[in-house]
Amino acid sequence: MDFSFTEEQELFRQAVREWCEKNLSLEKVREMDEKEEMPMDVIKGMADLGLLLMTVPEEHGGTGSDWVTACIAAEELAYADISIAVPVFFLVESSWGYVIDRYCSEEVREKYIKKAIRGEAFVGIATTEPGGGSDIASVKTTAKKEGDEWVINGEKIYISGTEEAKKMGGGYFIIARTDPKLGHRGMTAFFLPIDAPGVEITKRYDDMGRMGISTGGFVMNDVRLSDEYVLGEVNKGFYYTMEGFDLARLLIGATSVGATQRALEIGMDYTKQRILFGRPLAKFEGIQFEMADLWARNEALRSLVYRTAWMVNEKYSTGRFGPLEVSKFISAVKLLGPPLAFRTFEKAMIWLGAYGYTRECPLEMGLRGIMSYCVGAEGGLNIQRIIIARELLGREYVPYK
Amino acid sequence: MPFDISSLTTNDNHQSLKNSVVRALPTIIVPFKQIVDIKEIKVDPNTQTPITVGIPRKISDVDKNALEEAIKIKEKHGGKVIAITMGPSEAKTALRETLAMGVDEAYLLSDPIFENSDTLATARVLAKAIEKLGEYDLIICGEMTLDGLSAQVGPRLAELLDIPQITYVRKVTIEGNKIIAEKDLEEEYETVEAEMPVLLTVTREINEPRIPSLRDIMKASRKPINTWTASDLGISKENVGTEGSAVQILKVTVPKVERKGIIVKAETIEEAAEELVKTILKEGVLRG
Repeated sequence: MDFSFTEEQELFRQAVREWCEKNLSLEKVREMDEKEEMPMDVIKGMADLGLLLMTVPEEHGGTGSDWVTACIAAEELAYADISIAVPVFFLVESSWGYVIDRYCSEEVREKYIKKAIRGEAFVGIATTEPGGGSDIASVKTTAKKEGDEWVINGEKIYISGTEEAKKMGGGYFIIARTDPKLGHRGMTAFFLPIDAPGVEITKRYDDMGRMGISTGGFVMNDVRLSDEYVLGEVNKGFYYTMEGFDLARLLIGATSVGATQRALEIGMDYTKQRILFGRPLAKFEGIQFEMADLWARNEALRSLVYRTAWMVNEKYSTGRFGPLEVSKFISAVKLLGPPLAFRTFEKAMIWLGAYGYTRECPLEMGLRGIMSYCVGAEGGLNIQRIIIARELLGREYVPYK
Repeated sequence: MPFDISSLTTNDNHQSLKNSVVRALPTIIVPFKQIVDIKEIKVDPNTQTPITVGIPRKISDVDKNALEEAIKIKEKHGGKVIAITMGPSEAKTALRETLAMGVDEAYLLSDPIFENSDTLATARVLAKAIEKLGEYDLIICGEMTLDGLSAQVGPRLAELLDIPQITYVRKVTIEGNKIIAEKDLEEEYETVEAEMPVLLTVTREINEPRIPSLRDIMKASRKPINTWTASDLGISKENVGTEGSAVQILKVTVPKVERKGIIVKAETIEEAAEELVKTILKEGVLRG
């Protein structure tokens, strides 16, 4: 059993870290947080480094990276941008961009995927609707075939990157009912260009965190798309959605590892310098024990994340692991990651005392940001528990139909 | 047996180049060093010695400027860039990084007898390797590596190869067979020129080293890294390592900085200021 990264991966980690040190300082992260915008030079910089949609195969314009390497990027980006706006941008595009590319037509690839790889368009995921998010099978959006076209009607809310898509161009992986009688087997995935006639962005939400990337909603009124915009096979959309969620959740795990590591380091640096009762704060066991616990948990998470990334690689390359087995592990990653990062930010803020409660200190950005993945972006925590239990106990124990 | 410098110039390599028309496509050699990341070094509080075991290693910062400058020249004028480093096999990762940056050929000079070489012995190994590489137009080194800060390897190498050297270069242009370089003399800049082949040592200000992209890293992983040992270079033990070094390092310790804790006591601010100035003068911090 060899746990080492390849030389290529080590050099890549070093390159991403160096880029982050130069381009994603905590001051820059604060600026993004305050301006509620991600500068184009950050997006272009990521494109130049080869980070955007890095898992898309080389013949489609990507770098064909494996998922371990993608996790390295997510970890390093979150170590730098603890508000996780940049990691969200990265991971949404890497996971859903990969799935879109895997099932899209050449037209969509040329018009959107290749542009997104160059940082000239945004591609994301839009599944949540006013009726709910985690319960994908109850999506209300419909797509009806009329002649050569699909006519799509519905509404999507709490969607990452709507402002970026509007500004840069691009679009979304969406799912719509194409055969309502068949339940989740009657759903089809489409690529929806954000500028398609009939698409209207309704609002930008006033989020509490990850301010550098927008969250918004849009309605689709009689949006007409040709067959070129169907992803994969008709009525298989539910499965492609699950595939995308799995990949995004894996990268959320790596994001959590990076953010947790940084929170710990900020805490360690401060408590070594802060003198209280005649000794550095770090000399108090009450603080040391919390640090040790959090570090140990993060190392356990790190191992699980990279092991699971390896399983994903195997799923795609050799088929050694089936999708459901991989999903079980990925759900464990999503279940454990964000709450650990949240907990670490919370603890580190307490170690830093009054300073930790100010906006002069970066920690509060971390707490606000990672909360989005605790709340439920890319699937709520209880959904992860249901998936794990389903795989442990058997499908007949799933608590819903 | 003393180190045989003459073997380096038997084919009078530099002279033949000087007298010929410069090749349209220059060959640039960059000798560099992989060092421990000095930011990561911790100090043993009992012995005051730096702990270097397990510390990540990296290309010395200013050496990266040298690599960047060589690659920039290649991008403008064509030709090729060859990176060479002396070190253990772990230094292959650093060579891989240079390939990702845009270097064309990479050579590791590695042999147990090279261990503990000082700047003189190191320059000898590099000189032999450069001689073996054949014709070249430019050698670019960093002004110094960030571990030793001696700034000697580049100049010694130029001496051994018997070619002109321009040190502390902050800007360089090529015109025909001429190098025009701006030297940083701290208080002023000096513009000098030399015919190629020439050795330059460059400062950090000369450029901003590029960060290789994932695509570059992946391409680099498919390029070969050549390894030359002492016997490949025709170097014997007495010229390198501890035996071949002019300087022996006896001890490396971290200077202990202790505050004197002097408290100035006075009735008025004016008296306090006067007393403070006197103390500073007495301590030799300021010259009166």
